[in-house]
Amino acid sequence: MCDTIINIVNIVGKEVVRTVVGLIGVFIVVLGNAIMLTWTERKVAGHIQRRIGPKEVGPFGLLQSFADSVKLLGKELLTPANVEKPLYYLAPTLIFVPVLVTFVVIPFDGFLQVKDINTGILVILAFSSLTVLSILIGGWGSDNKYSLIGAVRSVAQNIAYEIPLLLSLLPIIFMANSFSLRDIAEAQRGVWFVVYQPIAFLIFFVASVAETNRTPFDLPEAESELVAGFHTEYSGMRFSLFFLAEYTNMFIVSAIAVTFFLGGYQGPVLPGVVWFFIKTYALVFVLLWFRWTFPRVRFDQLLNFSWKILIPVSFLNLLVTGGILKI
Amino acid sequence: MALATKIIEEFKPEFKSVDIAEVPYEKQGYHLAIEARTGNLLNIIDFLDRRDFYIIDLFCVDYQEYLELVYFFSTHRELCRIKVTLKLDPEKPVAPTISNVYTIARWYEREIHEFFGVYFEGHPNLTYLFLHEEIGHYPLRKKHVAVPDHDKKLLNSFKPHEEENSFFINLGPQHPSTHGVLRVVLKMDGEYLVSAEPVLGYLHRMHEKMAENRSYMQFLPNPARMDYPGALLFNLAYVEAVEKLCGIEVPERAKYIRTITCELNRIASHLLWLGAFPADLGALTPFMYAFDDRENILDILEDVTGSRLTYCYFRFGGLYNDINEETFIDATKRFIERMRERLVMYDKLITGNVIFINRIKNIGILEQGQAKKYGFSGPVIRSTGMPFDMRKVDPYAAYGSIDFEIPTGHIGDNMDRYLVRMKEIEVSLNIIEEGIKRLPSGPFKTEKVPKKLKPPKGDIYNAVESTRGETGVYIVSDESDTPYRMRWRVPSYSNLMTFPHLARGVLIADAIATLGSYDIVVPEIDR
Amino acid sequence: MRVIADIVKGAYSLIVGMGVTIRAFFSPVVTCQYPRETVNISPRFRSHTKLVGDPENPDRTKCIVCGMCERNCPSHSIKKVEGEKKEGEKKKTATSYILDFTTCSQCGMCVESCPVDALEFSDDYNPVGSKREDFHYDLVKEYEKRKKTI
Repeated sequence: MCDTIINIVNIVGKEVVRTVVGLIGVFIVVLGNAIMLTWTERKVAGHIQRRIGPKEVGPFGLLQSFADSVKLLGKELLTPANVEKPLYYLAPTLIFVPVLVTFVVIPFDGFLQVKDINTGILVILAFSSLTVLSILIGGWGSDNKYSLIGAVRSVAQNIAYEIPLLLSLLPIIFMANSFSLRDIAEAQRGVWFVVYQPIAFLIFFVASVAETNRTPFDLPEAESELVAGFHTEYSGMRFSLFFLAEYTNMFIVSAIAVTFFLGGYQGPVLPGVVWFFIKTYALVFVLLWFRWTFPRVRFDQLLNFSWKILIPVSFLNLLVTGGILKI
Repeated sequence: MALATKIIEEFKPEFKSVDIAEVPYEKQGYHLAIEARTGNLLNIIDFLDRRDFYIIDLFCVDYQEYLELVYFFSTHRELCRIKVTLKLDPEKPVAPTISNVYTIARWYEREIHEFFGVYFEGHPNLTYLFLHEEIGHYPLRKKHVAVPDHDKKLLNSFKPHEEENSFFINLGPQHPSTHGVLRVVLKMDGEYLVSAEPVLGYLHRMHEKMAENRSYMQFLPNPARMDYPGALLFNLAYVEAVEKLCGIEVPERAKYIRTITCELNRIASHLLWLGAFPADLGALTPFMYAFDDRENILDILEDVTGSRLTYCYFRFGGLYNDINEETFIDATKRFIERMRERLVMYDKLITGNVIFINRIKNIGILEQGQAKKYGFSGPVIRSTGMPFDMRKVDPYAAYGSIDFEIPTGHIGDNMDRYLVRMKEIEVSLNIIEEGIKRLPSGPFKTEKVPKKLKPPKGDIYNAVESTRGETGVYIVSDESDTPYRMRWRVPSYSNLMTFPHLARGVLIADAIATLGSYDIVVPEIDR
Repeated sequence: MRVIADIVKGAYSLIVGMGVTIRAFFSPVVTCQYPRETVNISPRFRSHTKLVGDPENPDRTKCIVCGMCERNCPSHSIKKVEGEKKEGEKKKTATSYILDFTTCSQCGMCVESCPVDALEFSDDYNPVGSKREDFHYDLVKEYEKRKKTI
């Protein structure tokens, strides 16, 4: 048995096997994470609002998300009459591509990584921009004015916040001298980068809230203004793909924040992967906490905040970091 | 009343041929009655406009041999209600419009047009406001009058036509932030609103017609269905009007209990708004906290009235039943203590929040001068800095003997409207506390109320301060046991009328914040 | 400088708000898990009306079939108030009293108008049914059923 596996591995090549196994793992993590997070979000929301949240299906309502996904799977896929069909169908699928690709380069542990690309962070940034494309396609193809406004908002918002996001990561790349996520995590063996770069961390975190369209920056789906924003016309499984992508994005931005600022998988006693998940979910919890505390900002305030405050400050931060490192 | 005599003195030389009469205020709820004619109506309106009178209400009564338009005026500074009437020929009713002087009359006149078939010459948009396409007669006329064909064309009140560089959005009737079934047609230029046009009538139930078909007693459950969050206050407006009409005395204890329960209901209604307003701005958690507090009030009121939302507790001459002295007072005192703590929490969670402040400060500014044109009232007018409150202007129940302050704002923006309501919760708590301290013992109901009420001939206007503003009821009695005509003046109606004005040229997010800050209740507007 | 002060102040207000919610997060819940727990029904709670038994003769209700409630009901929810005069009794005995609960708004006009106090509110807060007719209660039959259980 063992021999056959080794034989197969030798035939197809170690890298290919690693990638395939890794991708399967990524799928499991993505689905497991989304299912866990929907449950967590509802539980956190419940307790913040002093109610219980889901409790009937399974112990502590843990199986509620499974029941919900079964319900969503069983629903008829409605297609409104005047939609732009190719775009309308493409959007929910497309939103999943960046989600899967970015997982490839995240180091869950020293060795638990699908593939360590030496320009890892560039891969993440390049692919995460695709999310907004699918939102635009979905909003445009839906033939709904609310969806369109949501989509347009989303584009403006993502362009504005991608810049501070990138600028706040650059100082870390300077300090670690590498684009590879594993190198960056390794570089924090002694001290976490958040100690050297608290401002960059804050900027990154705020920008990533905006990138994931979470409250207080959830303008593309602002329910009190735009009903459901870009996914107003989506239902059933297509809707749940958008939903899944949102939760996975939350996980990804938190994971990047952990890798860049909070020492990645580093930590005493427990194995690295455990530390990684603890830190990531702590940040995810903060995101949830934000959502159930704050009202939504207005659109012009959102853009002003990025262009007038976040970008200048992150430039300054970058300049200071560069100066100190070189002198 | 000083102002009334002054008006008579000034009125007589200017309009020599017009009848002006003083009316016993205690009996009929207004001071002066003027009988205008089609020729001089606009001059009289102009006369009142110059003296800063605002229009309370405008409606029609069908007396069969003639139709009578009734214009009610008063001032914000001093109470002086003036009833101006205009008789019209029922065969061909035509009247001049006053909508260029008083903007709110645009809606009132549209309403009269669809219910009575009165035409207003010079009205900019005399289309139907409430009714739907199938209607074939004028509902409030006493005899069946068919709608002529040229009138039917006006039924579809709003048909948007697209233009270059702008598009239309239907905000509602089903939309998360219209709180019920209000539909607003927005003409948009990108994220900016070019114009906003409310379309009413999705909850129209014609309570005014229902009143003409039931006895005074049988109409008692109805007012609560108009303004469901502030049911007791509407209940009170109606009960007091009938009591004044029939000359029924109310015992002191009943008056105090009415005041206490009404204030509890006011807090409950404000809490409902406090939950919904941040939800309009995207914060969902305050909703649950406010409902938690509101639940306490509902429990207290349920113990007294037997229902949780659409109360029907006041009766002509008193109450349905007495309060349970121990449990009610204990629970209320406990609630006051709890609510004061919670207000501190709301300050931390909402009022101080920088995002919240930036979202509502300096947005939707209503100027004090516009109060006259629109006739808005309640927290909306108080936010502009005008201390206008029916509880002080025309004390009813036990408000005359309880001392309380009227919170006012400064510039009339959304923040001021928010702060005024929050302050009002505190004031209401003080009133309840004071009321409990002074609660007299004695009967809760007068014995002498006849089972079948047949009020004497005449009319009456009675107003109370409901949670949203001045709520008035006008009753015409013809000595039978059913009202000949009942008219409800509802505050949300005139408050909402300012929305098209405020929404012009603002972002959609701000328009929704403004709409939320009004605390409109759609069943009340549609009636 | 003012910008920085504003940002710091703003950030502080956000943290204060988060403090409120996290405290709520660790506080006990306030909701009632309905089918598992129930709240106490207030003694004045108004559900549909029920007929009160005659204390002297538990076989009949206090109702004397005068029809006051039927006339006073604003929504015409009370129908078929019928009765017969039994031998040896002075007043009529109700044999049928239909309450159409689908249109009833629990205003209590019938309870108030009853000259012999034969009506009172029940505390049946969760009536269910699969069709409209399930809510056309015959209060006389309902009384008979209740009488057996006492």
